Amino acid sequence: MMSFIRPRPRLRKPAWTVLAGAVFAAAWVIRGGPQWWLFVTLVAVATAGRAFAFYAWAGEDDDVGALAGSRADERQKQLSLRSRALAFNLTALAAFAGLTAAVALRASWWWPFAVTLGTLGLGYLFGLSSYGIAEEGPADDPASERQPPAPVSR
Amino acid sequence: MRNRVREQRTQRGMSQAEVAAALGVSRQTVISIENGRYLPSLPLAFRIARYFDLPVDKMFDPDHEEADR
Repeated sequence: MMSFIRPRPRLRKPAWTVLAGAVFAAAWVIRGGPQWWLFVTLVAVATAGRAFAFYAWAGEDDDVGALAGSRADERQKQLSLRSRALAFNLTALAAFAGLTAAVALRASWWWPFAVTLGTLGLGYLFGLSSYGIAEEGPADDPASERQPPAPVSR
Repeated sequence: MRNRVREQRTQRGMSQAEVAAALGVSRQTVISIENGRYLPSLPLAFRIARYFDLPVDKMFDPDHEEADR
């Protein structure tokens, strides 16, 4: 399966979408109940629509098409990264607001917000560690460590 | 930072799509670089300079910062 998809980047996002949809549909099957088939059908239709949308977008000659088709260059990857960072910030803000409201209202639904905040925080720390924070090593001139940091211009 | 990508490209009579294909980036990225909306990474800046056969500091002029975002 992977050997079929790897050389065809246009299929990567649709394939992940189908996989996620299949897992979610399986959850509905396991859950059972009187109308499980209805929810499974809805998930299948939504998944097929999303997978087709990714495939269609990937054919466009623009930034969205490049991202959908997994052929983004450095600028497009940077756009995606910045959008993800914005989504991270908004999610953290919403989770904090939800947690604050739940605490103020003595509600029992505080924990999903706490889990979200905790996951974001741990993910951020994991990212710092994975991407090489504190790997700069010692200064070659010990005296420079006592000097104030040089200004960084952007 | 001003750059000479558009000037060099038009001098050679090339389209943005041709330059993009040669550099391995999208046409939209070439447009963004030409308009000064995107500063390329160091490897891409060297690729551009090499492609147009210019030193990188001639291709990208750090003394003009009006277009920086």
